[in-house]
Formats: sequence, C-alpha cells, structure tokens
Amino acid sequence: MKFFFHVGQYFTLLKKVFGRPEKLRLYVRQLFHEIDTLGVNSVWIVIIISIFIGGIMTIQFAYSMSNPIYPTTLVGLGTRDTLILEFSSTMLALIMAGKIGSNITSEIGTMRVTEQIDSLEIMGVNSASYLILPKIVAVVFIFPFLFIISVFFGLLGGLVTGPIAGVISIPDYIEGIQWLFYPYYITFSLIKSVVFGFLVASVPAYFGYYVKGGSLEVGKASTTAVVNTNILILFFDLILTRLLLT
Amino acid sequence: MIEVKNIYKSFDGANVLKDISNRFEQGKTNLIIGRSGSGKTVLLKSILGLYDIDQGEIWYDNREFVKMHHKERKKLRREIGMVFQGGALFDSLSVEANIRFPLDMFTHQSPVEKKKRVEFCLEHVNIEKSAFKLFPSEISGGMQKRVAIARAIALNPKYLFCDEPNSGLDPETATIIDQLIQHLTREFEMTTIINTHDMNSVIEIGESVLFIAKGEVAWTGSNKEILETRNKKLNDFIFANKLYAQLREEKN
Ligand SMILES: Nc1ncnc2c1ncn2[C@@H]1O[C@H](COP(=O)(O)OP(=O)(O)O)[C@@H](O)[C@H]1O
Ligand SMILES: [Mg+2]
Repeated sequence: MKFFFHVGQYFTLLKKVFGRPEKLRLYVRQLFHEIDTLGVNSVWIVIIISIFIGGIMTIQFAYSMSNPIYPTTLVGLGTRDTLILEFSSTMLALIMAGKIGSNITSEIGTMRVTEQIDSLEIMGVNSASYLILPKIVAVVFIFPFLFIISVFFGLLGGLVTGPIAGVISIPDYIEGIQWLFYPYYITFSLIKSVVFGFLVASVPAYFGYYVKGGSLEVGKASTTAVVNTNILILFFDLILTRLLLT
Repeated sequence: MIEVKNIYKSFDGANVLKDISNRFEQGKTNLIIGRSGSGKTVLLKSILGLYDIDQGEIWYDNREFVKMHHKERKKLRREIGMVFQGGALFDSLSVEANIRFPLDMFTHQSPVEKKKRVEFCLEHVNIEKSAFKLFPSEISGGMQKRVAIARAIALNPKYLFCDEPNSGLDPETATIIDQLIQHLTREFEMTTIINTHDMNSVIEIGESVLFIAKGEVAWTGSNKEILETRNKKLNDFIFANKLYAQLREEKN
C-alpha cells in the first residue's frame, strides 16, 4: 500500500518538476551551479575508485586465468568488459547514489523543514521545478561523462597495476583490451548511465521534498533515499540488461 | 483588507481550525495570538493557500481566494510578502542575493534598478552595507529576521504575513522587530497579519487582536481592551505571565 502511495506521489512530483519554468535564465544559472557541485566535484572520487578497481580486477583475472590453456589476452578483455558492462555504469551509480543522492535529499529536505520551500511557493515560484529540474538535468548530463572517465581510468589502473604486480605484460594487456570489442556495449552502458542518472537525482529529491519534521528526519530521509535508489538501480539494471543485451 | 469567513481545516480527521471568521484591516498590525499548538500557523498558511481549507471563504479585498484558479493565485502571490518563523532565508544565497531573488524571478528591472531596490529594502530594516555580502549562517538571529522582512517587502506587497517574527530573540531585539513591522505596515499601507504568543508584542503592536484557543476564535479586540477583559480563556493566557497580573492589579 505504502509502496503505491510513494509511486503515485513520485509521479505527481515529476509532473510538477517538468512544469513550465518561470524564468529560463534563472534555471540555466542554477543548472551550471548544479553541474559544478554535483558533477565536477565527483570527478576525483570517480577517478580514484576506478583506478583501484581496474587494478584489482586485472590482478584477479590474471590469477584465475593463470592456467596456460587460457590466452593471456583474456585478462585485458575481462577487465574491459566488466568495467564497461557493470562497474563503470551500475556500481558507479550505486556509489554516486551514496554521494550525490544523499547530498540532494539533505539539501532539499533542509529547505523543506526550514520553510525555504514554503517561502518559494509563497513568492509564486514552482519550487519543485526550480529546485529539482536543474539537479535532474545536471546529473543526467554528467553521468555519461563519469562513465567514460571511469572506464578510461579503470583500464589505466589495470595497465599500471598488472605489470607492476608481475601478472601480465603491457603488450598482452593492451592487446587484450582491444580483443573482441563490441562498440554496442558502450551504447548499452551509456543508456544505462542516463537512466541511473535520472534515478540518482529524482528519487532522493522526492524523499527530500516530502520530508516532515526536523533535522533528524532529514538524516533519516537521506538514508531511506539512498537505499531505495540503490534498489531501483539494480532493478533497472536487470530490466535493461534483459531488454537490450539478451 | 483580508477577511476570512467560517474557515474549517482538519488534518487526518483532527479538526485544527473550527469556524474561524475575522477581518484584518489595512495599515494595521493584526495579531493572531494563542498558545503553542492552538492553530496559528495553520490559520496563516491556510489564508496563504499553503494548505487547502475544507470549508470557508478567504477574501483579499474584493477577491475570493478559495475559488481562484492556479494562475490567479500565482498573480495574487506577487502582492504577498511573508516572514517565516525561522526566517527561511535561502542559505545558499548572500543577504543581498536573497533580496534580489524575487526581483530576478518576477520583475524585468535592470541590474541598476534591482541594486537600488535591494539597498532600499535593506536600509529600511537597518542592515548595514558591510553585511550585504554575508551569508545567512554568518549573521545573528535578529539580523536574519530583518533580512527576511526586507525580502518580504522587496516586491512592494499589499499584504504582509509574519509567523512568530520575534521568536527566539532577546526581548530588546524582539521589540525592535515588532516596531519595525508596525512602522513598515504604516509606511507602505499594508495589511499585516502577525502570529505571536508573546504578550509583549500584543501590548506593543496589538492594534487588532484575534485570540484563538484550540482552533476556535475565543476573543477579538485591541491591546487597549485586552488587560481589562473578563474572558476566562484569554485571562489564563495573558496572566500566565505574573507581570501582567500585577499590572492589572495596580490599575484596579
Ligand atoms: N501538516 C500538518 N499535519 C497534521 N497536523 C498538523 C499539521 N500542521 C499542524 N498540525 C497540527 O495542528 C495543530 C496546530 O498547529 P500550529 O498551527 O502549528 O500551532 P501554532 O499555534 O503553535 O502555530 C497542532 O496540534 C499540530 O499538531
Ligand atoms: Mg506556529
């Protein structure tokens, strides 16, 4: 019952979010601000995580395929495809739900409990649209870039770590990451990024917008928002994989 | 002038407002008083349309608010200024930008005109130039309230609403805020409605007072009459403060 209530209220909110903006210029200003705070500030963490994960995966693939019947190129291929298909799209979205999502819930939730949202409404501003639309657009815009950055640095992580650990040579690795490459995997994951970006911005925004109470409730709402966003990401990952890949 | 007629409002079956009727006059500070939880905020937000009422009429001069369409309501809101209990300043914007926000949103003024208006409003609430660039978290509670008032008057409203404008302030600052609101109300001929549970405010600026208890109108009058009243509920409210009990005894 509660589930259907939330779904209904979520779509009601989205309808408000995509209503006509009051002044486009102010929205654009807000959009650049959000791209900066939500997107650009996430680049470093994405790079660091991706380098480590790429490196770790390369070592693990090399160990599990140390039997000489496997071609050494499988290590590069395994790292590449795991990055593209799951890590840099899905796992990264889960991590970003924790960072960006909780940030969005607490920001909007705080504005709700301190009556800043009421204040916008009194002025006649469509608060849902003004606060949430720029965030959704910003995150949907930035996610594909984060995906590409993550794949690139993940592969780089493997390239650096593999040879240092002595599990694979540079030429083998480079040959591997080019072996049996399907460009469609990239398209598939870019589609996923866009969907996940939408979830990571809109679901936490929803939980923040309808918060009731004080700062304690805002904290709780952040946690609820992140958990629900994660479940939805995995659910949509399943559906999209089924629809687009098999 | 704002007039409410027979307003009812309930939340999940709990009646919070019961048959409230009153007239709030232009150019006067109209007070809504009552204990915490008596329904003052709900009444204010109902008049503003932040809550939809179950029954009743709300008149802004000759315009009835409840029957208005979304668009007409939006237009009316340009004539309304509101000071929230906690100030509700946008904490991502500087003092100056907070005042500029409604101007950016709803006017086509040039940057120079906006700057003038921002300065005009902030000067009217005695905020010094050195504080213009500060953020809400960097200024005192009393200053936040004054900035909130400045933002509320930015679009030159006909109607001003204040929810406990001096809660959380020391008595001296509270009096300054009260007087400021009264002064602005007279200067700009606004219809001002103020929620408060502070007896000092009632005595100071209660030109017209609506006392509500448990969501019902229990008394109406002015600060001149309030100390003389024999209304039981009102007496309990007022003379909870010993000082006022003493004051009345001295008078009699
Ligand atoms: N959004 C709401 N949902 C349910 N009940 C509410 C809501 N807002 C206020 N109430 C209830 O209405 C009553 C009056 O509250 P309020 O108007 O805030 O009192 P106050 O006079 O202190 O401003 C309280 O009992 C409060 O619990
Ligand atoms: Mg209140």
